[in-house]
Order: sequence, then C-alpha cells, then structure tokens
Amino acid sequence: MSYRTKIERDLARWQSAGWLSDSGAAAIRADLAARRPAFGAAAGLAMLGAVLFGFAVVSFVAANWDGMSKLARILLLVGALWACYGGAAFLFARRLGAFAHAAVVAGIAVYGASIWLIAQAYHMEGNPPDAMLLWALGALLAAAVVRSPAALAAAFVLLTVWTSWERSESERAHMVFLAPWAAAVATAAWLRWRPGRHLAALSLAVWLVPLGFLVLDRHAHWLVVATGVAVALATSMAAPAIERWIGAAQAIFAYAVAVAFSGLFIMQVVEDINLFSTAHRLSTGQFGALAALTLALLTGAMFRALATGNRGALWVGYIAFTIEIFTIYARMLGTLLNTSLFFMIAALIVTVMAWAAYRLHRHETPVAEPAA
Amino acid sequence: MSAPVKTLLALAVVALAQTAVLAAMVIDRVMLLHTGREIVLPIVPVDPRDLFRGEYVRLGYGINTVPMTPADLHRDETVYVVLERKTADEDWHVAGAARSLPGDLNPDHIVLKGRFLWGGMVHYGIESYFVPQGEGARLEGLARDRKLAALVAVDKAGNAVIKGLIVDGKVQYEEPPL
Repeated sequence: MSYRTKIERDLARWQSAGWLSDSGAAAIRADLAARRPAFGAAAGLAMLGAVLFGFAVVSFVAANWDGMSKLARILLLVGALWACYGGAAFLFARRLGAFAHAAVVAGIAVYGASIWLIAQAYHMEGNPPDAMLLWALGALLAAAVVRSPAALAAAFVLLTVWTSWERSESERAHMVFLAPWAAAVATAAWLRWRPGRHLAALSLAVWLVPLGFLVLDRHAHWLVVATGVAVALATSMAAPAIERWIGAAQAIFAYAVAVAFSGLFIMQVVEDINLFSTAHRLSTGQFGALAALTLALLTGAMFRALATGNRGALWVGYIAFTIEIFTIYARMLGTLLNTSLFFMIAALIVTVMAWAAYRLHRHETPVAEPAA
Repeated sequence: MSAPVKTLLALAVVALAQTAVLAAMVIDRVMLLHTGREIVLPIVPVDPRDLFRGEYVRLGYGINTVPMTPADLHRDETVYVVLERKTADEDWHVAGAARSLPGDLNPDHIVLKGRFLWGGMVHYGIESYFVPQGEGARLEGLARDRKLAALVAVDKAGNAVIKGLIVDGKVQYEEPPL
C-alpha cells in the first residue's frame, strides 16, 4: 500500500475523531502533492539507459584494449576521467545533486582504475598498497574540494582497504593510517556530514581490533580491550562535553564496547585455538577469568545503555552477550552439569536486566544524557 | 564567486590533480625507458602465482639472490646492489650491496635499486611482466628452458624497468614507451 493511500486513511480517521480540521487536511494534501518523488519513470529509464551505455563502452574498451598503443590507452583513461567530472559539473548546474555526486564517485572509480591500468601497462611493480593510498587520497581531495559526502565515504572505504592490505603484506602496525584517517574525519566534520562519524568510527575500529596481533609481543589484545574500555568510560563520564565537541557520544560508546568485546573475543577464541592439536591454549581458569570479565563488562555496558537510552549500544551488548554465551558453551561442552548451572546463572542475570529495563522505561527515558 | 562557479572550479581542481598523478606515473616511466642505460639480464624460472591483475608472468633473475646484504635489513627496505661484468660477453653478476647509493662507478659496474625481501632475496621492480592474452604459457616455457632474457633500462638512481624481452638473442615484445 502506498504512502498516499495510507495517509488518506489516516487523514480521514483523524478528521472524524475531530483532531484535524478541514483546512488542516487540505493543507496536508497540498503539501504532499507538492513533494513529488524525485525519481519518476523517466528518470528511472534514463538511469537504466546510462548503465547500459556504460557497459557498452566498457565492453568495447575491453575488446580493443590490447590493440591500443600506450598513448591511446592513457588518453582514453584521462578522457574518461574528465568526462566524469565534466558530467558532474553539468549535473550540478542542472541542480541534479544526487546524480552529480554519483558522477563524482564514477570519476574516483576511473581514477583508481587508471592507476592500476597504467601500472600494468608499464609493468610497474613495487608496493601495491601504495596505489590504494594514492587512490584514497584522490577520493579525499574530491570529498573536501567538491564537498561530496559520497566521495568521502569512498575515501574511508579505500583507506580501510589500504591499511588492511598493507598490514597483511608487511605485518607491521601501520600507525601511519591515523594521519589520513584524521584528515578524513576533519573533512567529515567540515562537511557537517553526520554519517561520516559512523564511517570514521567503523574504519578506526577495523584498524584497532587487529592491532593486538601486530604490536609488542604480537599477542597484545589487552591493549585493544583497554582502549575500548577507556573510550567507553570516557564517553560515559564526559558525555555532555563530548556531545558538544564531537557529537554522537552514544554511537562512540557503542563502537567502543564493540571494540573491547572484539579484543576479548580474540583472546578467548582466536588465541585459544591450537593449530596442531585439539587441546586448548588457555587453561580453564584463564578462560573462566576472561569470560567472567567479558560478561561483567558487557553487563555494565548494557546497564549504562539502558540508563541513557542508547539503543545502538544495547544492540551491541545483546549481540556480544549472545556470542559470549555461545563461546562459553562451546568451551564447556564437556562438563554438562557445570554448563547447566552456568546457564541458570546467565538466565538470572538476563532476567534481572529485563526487570531493570522495564523499571527504567516506565519513567520516560530521555534520549540524551539527563541534565541533572 | 557564486556557488555554481565554485563547484565548477572545485571539479576542475580535482580532475587536474588526479590527471597530474597519472601523468607523473607515465612521465616517470617514459623518462626511464628513454634515458636509462640498457642492460640484458637472463631470466630464471619462478613458480607463477595467481593475481587479479590480468595475465602476467613472474620473472626471476640470477641477481635476485644477493648474499651480501647488510645485516638487520627489514623487509621492504631499500638496498642498492652493485652489478659488475668484466667483458661484454659476460653476464652481469652481483658484486656488492649497500644501504645508500654508491657513487663514482666505472662502466664495468651498474647499480640497481632494490627492495629487500628476506634473507638474500632482493626485488628490483622488474619481476613481473604483463603479456598479451594467451602468451603467458609460452613465455613461462621459454623461461624454464632458459631461453629468455630481459632488456632492462636503468637510470642513475638505480631505478630499473623492463624495456623488452629477448628470446634466443632476438628482442621481442619491445614496447614503445607510448
């Protein structure tokens, strides 16, 4: 059922209940009529045509690529690059913002493809992740100069791929990631693009979690856990200040909890696996301590999330809690009696939390940190 | 400046910057191909490895094995390898390795800039060659039969690039720089 039909039914209901006057209903209908959807059938067909044309061009190029001289290939790539940005300029002038930003992203894609294809044409070897950095920086430039959130999203993705690739080749910590990452975050702030904060947190989290494998003794996952816990504590205690300066204090809390749990999970599962036998690397005592710590931290985080109405963190908590329960179950598969006792305790904890959630939601829970 | 003009300018800046990066890549290589000193290096076979960058062959050289690399070199660090040959009929062989570019060499010697991999293995950026479709297997066969050599251009800083491949003494696959 379309929105129009639904709203007509609601309007009729509200009018008959006396909540909506005739003039009010007329005003609402007029407003809806003015806000026609941006994409009609014509635009949809045009997009389809553009995609087909794009495929035709790509197929032609692929079929004739080998026969072209290096100069012809380079000119073709650079031509495609300028065509994309020229198209973007045209679309911006026609006030077709969404399409224009799509053209910018297409330009970034052509730029990246050009780097790889030129490297191939000249048999360039060297460090492939460096090409990813060149690509990412190009995207970042586009994001900042053209003020394009889509380009910024691409930049975050490319930076994350760059650091993951570089780390898999060199097996070093790659702290330099933080420099372009900070520049991307600054750009997100400058563009006032709120989803950018989530991308920033996500890419940082993806960079943080494997850090334990790459620094100190290469098993320093406690670092990751400590960082997550520290950030979570900081956002809890200084929420108003963070909200003012950075914003998204609740989201940061949720990501911090996720990072801390990831570190604990690695310690309990990934580091526990012995490649050459089925025996566990961690003793039962060590595992038990870690599991208890994990559950305690998660419980604390979830109580905090309930108190502040932090839905995102609550969901992170639910999922992490479930994973932890399964982890413990998998580990304790041998001792059935202990397992059932453990699950009884876990069920008690969850019941207490459900009761706490019920009590807290009885009073209207504000979304932001209470002022008092 | 009005907003539409600003956007136009911004897009032009981005297009120019990205084109400049691509141009720099190309110019760097073309200069190397034009002005570099040419040397011939016989190719030894290497187990091929799959990569997504299209059909290419992995090339190995005798000079990839450098026994005298400086101690405590990390992976991916730069090392300069000195090659020498006494007569024009000889093959170039490794004579020494250093962390910085050695200066003042006579024509019997040439320096190649390398990337240290692990104990004794150095790569010079000439270990892969992209071939036209279908040629890969043939070239690898020739490499196994030790009939293949690479024509390499080297500049004063030690950067090396493959100019072409030599089969049985004849230059094949020599590509024009553009």
